[in-house]
Amino acid sequence: MKKKLVSLLLVGVLAMSAFIACGKTDDSAEAPADAESEDSAAAMYTSDDENTLTVAAWDANFNIPALKAAGEAFKKENPDFNLEIIEQSQSEDIENAVTTAAEAKDYSNLPDIVLFQDHYFQQYVTNYPDAWQDVDDADIDWSDFGEEKLSFSTIDGTHYGLPVDNGTVIFAYRVDLLDECGYTLDDVTGITWDKFIEIGEQVYNKTGKYLLSMDGSGNDLPYMMLQAEGQSQFKDGKAVLADNDTLVQILEVIEEMQQKNVLLLENDWDGYTNDIQKDMVAGVMNGNWIIPTIEQVTENSGKWEITSMPTLSGEEGYASNGGSSLYITANCKKTDLAKEFLAYTFGGGEGSIETYDNALRDGGVITTCISAGQSDVYQEGVAYFNDQAIYAKIVEMGSHVKVVEQSDYHYTVRENISAAITNIHNGTPVADALQQAQEEVDFAMED
Amino acid sequence: MTKKNSSAIQRRLIPTYIFLIIVSFISVFPLYWMVSAATNRSVDVARGKITFGTYMVTNFQNLTAQTDLWGALGNSFLYALVQTLVSLLVCSLAGFGFELYHDKWKDKVFSILLLAMMIPQVATMIPLFKMISSVGLLNTVWAFILPSISTPFLIMMFRQNSRNFPVDIMEAARLDGLSEFQIYFRMYMPVMKSTYAAAAVITFMNAWNSYLWPKVVMADTRAQTMPMLIANLASGYTVDYGVLMMGVLFCSVPTMIIFFVLQKQFAEGITGSVK
Amino acid sequence: MSKQRNGLNIQGKQQRAGWVFLAPAAIMIAIFSFYPIIQAFITSFTTGTGVNQKVADPLIYNYTRMFTDKTFLRSVGNTFLYLAIEVPVMLVLAILLAQLLNNKDLKFRGLFRTMVFLPCATALVSYALIFKSLFAQDGLINTIFVNLGILENNYNFLGNTASARVIIIIALIWRWTGYNMVFYLAGLQNIEYSVYEAAKIDGANGWKTFWKITVPLLMPTIVMTVIMSINGTLQLFDESMNLTQGGPAFSTITMSHYIYNVAFGRGVGKFGYASAMSFFIFILVAILSAISMKVGDTRD
Repeated sequence: MKKKLVSLLLVGVLAMSAFIACGKTDDSAEAPADAESEDSAAAMYTSDDENTLTVAAWDANFNIPALKAAGEAFKKENPDFNLEIIEQSQSEDIENAVTTAAEAKDYSNLPDIVLFQDHYFQQYVTNYPDAWQDVDDADIDWSDFGEEKLSFSTIDGTHYGLPVDNGTVIFAYRVDLLDECGYTLDDVTGITWDKFIEIGEQVYNKTGKYLLSMDGSGNDLPYMMLQAEGQSQFKDGKAVLADNDTLVQILEVIEEMQQKNVLLLENDWDGYTNDIQKDMVAGVMNGNWIIPTIEQVTENSGKWEITSMPTLSGEEGYASNGGSSLYITANCKKTDLAKEFLAYTFGGGEGSIETYDNALRDGGVITTCISAGQSDVYQEGVAYFNDQAIYAKIVEMGSHVKVVEQSDYHYTVRENISAAITNIHNGTPVADALQQAQEEVDFAMED
Repeated sequence: MTKKNSSAIQRRLIPTYIFLIIVSFISVFPLYWMVSAATNRSVDVARGKITFGTYMVTNFQNLTAQTDLWGALGNSFLYALVQTLVSLLVCSLAGFGFELYHDKWKDKVFSILLLAMMIPQVATMIPLFKMISSVGLLNTVWAFILPSISTPFLIMMFRQNSRNFPVDIMEAARLDGLSEFQIYFRMYMPVMKSTYAAAAVITFMNAWNSYLWPKVVMADTRAQTMPMLIANLASGYTVDYGVLMMGVLFCSVPTMIIFFVLQKQFAEGITGSVK
Repeated sequence: MSKQRNGLNIQGKQQRAGWVFLAPAAIMIAIFSFYPIIQAFITSFTTGTGVNQKVADPLIYNYTRMFTDKTFLRSVGNTFLYLAIEVPVMLVLAILLAQLLNNKDLKFRGLFRTMVFLPCATALVSYALIFKSLFAQDGLINTIFVNLGILENNYNFLGNTASARVIIIIALIWRWTGYNMVFYLAGLQNIEYSVYEAAKIDGANGWKTFWKITVPLLMPTIVMTVIMSINGTLQLFDESMNLTQGGPAFSTITMSHYIYNVAFGRGVGKFGYASAMSFFIFILVAILSAISMKVGDTRD
């Protein structure tokens, strides 16, 4: 049988030919691709029609309705205008599309505008500066937006994006269950995590429901808890995990909550949202985009109310989790129209009240635009939340969120902290688990 | 064989039946769950309800309202069909050439081609994207199918099955004045039809279910395929499981039908019995 | 003399026709598989991301780095664990099922065959969802086990290292056994009945017949399925991604999944490093396939 020999030989041949190819400059191969992209079939993804903009976004129940609302609002001003929404399954799809386009130096496959996750944008600008167009000169009053939110889309003082949704963290409680245990919403507002655990234990013993649940793999919990303390997992561009006293305390709280049946850590996002739908929890803490999931259990209408987070010190805690913004890509040839559209709708222009009001009604998207947040719709009580004016409350809470240091390695840290939580739960001492996470993250942050 | 004898055989087969029934149950149960979930409310699916519900019509209406179901089905059919046809032609030609005209050099080329089976997909995605974009084929059916037209597996399958092709009739045909191409079209293709059927099932299924690559090169929504449509339904902050499972049903049924229809030829073709 | 030359000509013509037939397929594989992997190989000597990508110093930096990367080494370990358990169990089960279904006295053979094959026609997303829901903390499996007294409390199958790995293996076996079985079944049907008759006359029992006749005659099919399974398992991605997301604490992540994370799913990718790791897998698969061809080859 000679095949195996041939196979092995071929590996050698491949390696050799690679070196030969290496000798010829790599750049020459890329040049034609670049030239081609100028005029080639760009029409497939952006539109030839001068009044049509394309935008890629994800989540049919949340972001898409917001974009539709904006398209409608702008259409009233410009009847010929058409917004074509390209639905993606998740934020990762858009990140991958930008990555592949940028690596191939061919942006023709990108739409005019993309919705992009806040936590990733900085590194995409650093690595692929050519992929974006800034919106500095758009007709937008930037002071009308929350500072924390803008910190993601502003790089070296240049504005690149328009904030869409607000990731302000809410803590929603089943007030009927709290009442059963002798507590009110005030009793869980501005408390320490220790007090929270005390209440949570009673709630579990009395009602069999967890006062808090979280997706253990995505691990938003430590990030939110840390931000509520005004702390970050990073300092001066380096990850600070092992020598981070606040983080140590937080992980201890998380472990204690798990042991005392206060916190249910699920394996993944599906499990987490299922628990909420299965009516297993008495409290939900996450970015306000979690609201539609809570509302799916129609029989619990009127039983929920929202408030701020507990903290280690007992002050009211504010954090933000998982927002996104709109960005204009290098492939957009109608930059002026795109800027005009964004400024008019999401940017606090004349159409912004209509945009944000409808985005709120249809998708539950809450603005970070302060003036738009003062519209009447925001002051209305929401029946599902016991007629509490939750949207006004969220906008108000959002203004208290502290700016903390961000990093390109945000999600790497999250993953490793999540692993640390698992390890701690399986008996590893907190310090060791964090040391391990620190090493893994430091390794990943090397070139 | 007497009746008594046959019932004795059946009695001895009882453990086999029990085993097969258990295996079949395990194989089919998740699929049953998929069908029943498509008739239930999202909350009920999440709560693990396994009986049929009354939300089938609602779920279907929501699915067609939320997504371009028919467009995605159409695209998936188009891409999978084109890929199957082209792929079968190219690979069967190669299998024919490798086996029936084989010599030392062709055998060597064949072993080199087999190596391509071992290349991980993640490794080639960026270079392939550069290539496709540089020739301006992004968002076309060619971007979808070109990289997977010629697969070592199909070539190997056609080559192995060609071993049973009667070489004598080729000689006879040549004496009758048929060209080599005519031999391929008039004799090889009809004789190998069960291999074609098996290859078609496998290629169609792979093309129908492929996700990662199409996602990268088919950015245009109008080019969306069924797996992409399902992925869109399955993610997002809030998932409606009833509607999702209705979508999954529409995505799974075509491949199952194809298998049902072709299963006899599939089984014959897979190791190449020649009819 | 002229006749002979003529004959050579015809043969030459035929040889050339053969090359023409295989050319399109060969060229396409060269363009769409070999050229990209060469590109990836070149990329594997670079570090950094995006516009900051540069030639690695030392050149083999990425290749040495991967052996100090704990997550990568864990992913290699996981993948080989799946390989060592899943492939033998699945293939033995597939042969067993094929053997049972090859019995002419068996009724409903077509029905059984179809049912066992159906899982591999299922869309991946549904199968991941179904498995997650079955093994959820309050899922069907937990309910059954608790009621039967096997478990005292509900167990978090996907949240614990050992059980999460077991579930990935079960899921793989569920999805691919029927697929492999079809190959064996077809192989078995090609074995003439008279061969078995002869064995029976020689007094061989069922077990002996299986080892002395069935297995050797099925050998080409077995080698093919082994290579396909090794290849598929070493490139395993979907199950790790969709069932467990590699967790808990990276304990189920596979090589391809980790490479995907390095290149795509986690922001701007380190393509140099990802390419180096892909190339490593490529070589591993090539070596293992070569070994299985060698072991399975009974002819020379």
